[in-house]
Amino acid sequence: MVATQLLVGMAEIQVAKEGPLFVCLGLGSCIGLAAYDPVAKVAGMVHVMLPAAFADKPVDKPGKFADTGVPHLLEQMARLGASRSRILVAMAGGAQVFNFGTGSAGKLDIGRRNADAVEAQVQALGLRCLGKDVGGNQGRTMTFDSGSGLVKVRTVTSMERALCSLKGS
Amino acid sequence: MAGTLTLEDIVRKTTDLPSIPSAALAVIREADRPDASAQKVAEYIAQDQSLAARVLRLANSAYFGLSRKILDHREAVVVLGMRSVRNLAMVASTYPWMIRPLKGYNLGPKQMWTHSFGTAVGAQLIAKETGKANPDAAFTAGLLHNIGKVALSIWLENKLPAMMAMAVRDDLTFDQVERKLLGFDHAEVGAYLAEEWNLPEPLVLAIRYHHHPDECDPPEPIVDCVHFGDYLTMSMGFGLGGDGLRYEFSTKALQRLAIDPEATDRLVAAFVASYEEYEKLFQDLDQAA
Repeated sequence: MVATQLLVGMAEIQVAKEGPLFVCLGLGSCIGLAAYDPVAKVAGMVHVMLPAAFADKPVDKPGKFADTGVPHLLEQMARLGASRSRILVAMAGGAQVFNFGTGSAGKLDIGRRNADAVEAQVQALGLRCLGKDVGGNQGRTMTFDSGSGLVKVRTVTSMERALCSLKGS
Repeated sequence: MAGTLTLEDIVRKTTDLPSIPSAALAVIREADRPDASAQKVAEYIAQDQSLAARVLRLANSAYFGLSRKILDHREAVVVLGMRSVRNLAMVASTYPWMIRPLKGYNLGPKQMWTHSFGTAVGAQLIAKETGKANPDAAFTAGLLHNIGKVALSIWLENKLPAMMAMAVRDDLTFDQVERKLLGFDHAEVGAYLAEEWNLPEPLVLAIRYHHHPDECDPPEPIVDCVHFGDYLTMSMGFGLGGDGLRYEFSTKALQRLAIDPEATDRLVAAFVASYEEYEKLFQDLDQAA
């Protein structure tokens, strides 16, 4: 049986009871974070675009930012019965252009900053990260089969490869 | 293949070269003139019935949200302004061939379009935010910046894995690999086509120098706008091919545009919002193509 596909567009959060195939297409500097509670069998994914919400602007889509997206993903999963202490995660994306030169351009490296910001959230919320594929100069597609637990990543030029299983094995 | 074909050979021998209707080229040239005439823009559009029909359909798309239907292209020029209509003419002229896949760059259907349109929106946003260039000219330049890829694609088919391996092994950007393999890169091929089409000089420069804006001497703001628009588009993963984000970024271009790097995230958010707004135009494009 082919799993239902749940496309997780930019700045979106999707959650479901186990079964669907979650897909983050065309991750450039964005980060896809897959999450799973193996006991409650609740899965989710967020497609983060930027590290942090703007202090002076209301957040239109919580999934847009790492500091709102990761907590909201957990909240939505909790509504389906997930418990934060059991949630396992994997992340991919955070690519960047080839060379920024030196100096004040650090802010331009959105890919690295996104990866750092998502990782900081993962740590702050006490989540166990089982797989990480970030950085480099290639766009990625990330899939999370919540039936099998398998998280896979592919680039335009490389074959799909398994990153990890969130079934906790 | 290396060194055996000149840029001119490549262009001459490529059967499926991109093309822009002469009426649309006349619209661009007219709209760029300091004494541009709305009536002339309408007349040029009228020379190509198929172009006029597509422009009209786009003018009536949800993007413009007009309360009543525009009935002909003359009215479109009056209601939307000649610069908007010029952009619609460009969108209508490029969409049919930009949605085709480009195997040489591992770009699937519509990906070349997504990337080009993203860069158009990004370059337009940067031109507006900085006031350094005409936003509509920046839009057109962004839309056309990668036309060289359309011509080069067929020559690079099946070579991408080896080219990426070379890029990684020798620590090169993708355009450097193109130059190593062919003697020229997609930006140079694009500029050659733009010259053949007799496009205004700033557009030719934006196409030629979009990866190396510092080499444009004297600097041209529209080149910097397209460079930054391209960076925004690549970063957001819009229409990435096998070459991915393997291109250099010029911090000097940012300085010339007087953009504070601290503003990066706000520009990214504004860029994505603008792109999503423009998607209302896309809704009608499939019918218009």
